[in-house]
Amino acid sequence: MATESPSSVRKVVVHLRETGDAPILKQAKLKIPRTDKFAKVIDFLRRQLHRDTLFVYVNSVCSQNPDELVIDLYNNFGFDGKLVVNYACSMAWG
Amino acid sequence: MDAQKYLWEGAIPLQIHLHESQVTALPPPPPALILAPRIGYLPLLAPLIKPYFSSTLPPGVDTIWFDYNGLPLKWYIPTGVLFDLLCPEPERPWNITVHFRGYPGNVLIPCEGEDYVKWSFINSLKEAAYIMNGNCKNVMNMSQSDQLELWNSVLNGNLEAYQRVSSKLKLATVDEYTSLCSPKSQQSLGETDLTAQLKTGRVPVRLYILSVREDFDDLDEVHPIDSWEKISYINRPVEIRKEDKCFSLHDALKTLLPELFSDESLTDVKLSGVDFEDAVRKPNDVSSDKVMEDQGQNAYKQPEAGHICSSAEIKLIRIQGIEPKLEIPFSWVANNLINPDYFLHICVYVKVAQ
Repeated sequence: MATESPSSVRKVVVHLRETGDAPILKQAKLKIPRTDKFAKVIDFLRRQLHRDTLFVYVNSVCSQNPDELVIDLYNNFGFDGKLVVNYACSMAWG
Repeated sequence: MDAQKYLWEGAIPLQIHLHESQVTALPPPPPALILAPRIGYLPLLAPLIKPYFSSTLPPGVDTIWFDYNGLPLKWYIPTGVLFDLLCPEPERPWNITVHFRGYPGNVLIPCEGEDYVKWSFINSLKEAAYIMNGNCKNVMNMSQSDQLELWNSVLNGNLEAYQRVSSKLKLATVDEYTSLCSPKSQQSLGETDLTAQLKTGRVPVRLYILSVREDFDDLDEVHPIDSWEKISYINRPVEIRKEDKCFSLHDALKTLLPELFSDESLTDVKLSGVDFEDAVRKPNDVSSDKVMEDQGQNAYKQPEAGHICSSAEIKLIRIQGIEPKLEIPFSWVANNLINPDYFLHICVYVKVAQ
């Protein structure tokens, strides 16, 4: 479980990692306001990859719910001060 | 009296109307009357609903979706939770509208059949496993047949089959944590990662907060919800420490929504001017600390009507259609009121200042 220092900033660091045959992004690191919804990450990926169909995973859990708050995902699944999000063009972990 | 059995038998009586745009023959078909399991999901009712309306549907591909008072219903939220959240005054039967065309892709994520719902359920289960155990290996390593049996048990409301398969997952419930913490059992445990978990139990929670601006005495005075923006959703586990034998639902809600509670009883809480960091915190309560730090930076304030400001009053707390007393031990709630994916869904109505 991720821990935060008292002086932690308002943003969550998100690392985007390609999985399978998904293309590597030029910009693979994002800083997202913690109160934003996961929809922002999903939309960013869709725009960058020019694809509507994407499979997004956090710690091998498929996270498609755009309502999840980035801060909740970070607190539940983040480590080393960042949230790692894997993206694939086809289902990676069934 | 087995609480889980009551839960699995719980159902919402639905009166399902076909949307007028889908009616091709007059007179329009009468609504379908369907009993929907609380722990189930609306799209799974498609095979029951379609026969009622198939003769009047326009030709084309069917993608089922539902709305209540114009609000598209999020299909991955269990039926019972949708009812508890969107019907402040329970409406029986619950009048919802079914559509087979015009899927609102801007509001709802895709759902093209039972497989989508199954996938969503298994993922939720993995999430819960991760929160409780620190990894979801047990779910990932499930055999295909076990996974299918688990899903079918939820689909069919078969509690016996569900308990048979889910017990193999060894997803620790709060009871197991507290019983494992007796000195005898601690000696017999050689695995180091288990001892770390024995200190606390983490209960996965999905919390839905409906903020209401207007004053109301009766629940039926609450205006129908016309947008999901009015509902704040958080996914945050509650930690129970083993030595906390009297950890109540009230205590759990305090850790989830500290800005809505003070140490006094549940009344109008005017916290303006109070420095949240000075508010009473439990020592070594990791989740509380985190939430307090976040509160200091107003991290959980949502824009729009979901804004939980400092002068707010909790009007209602609903879990599985029940409004439990706040003194109830949270361990009981965590053991008995969770959904099959091991998540506890809590609906909270909050009245905020104008």
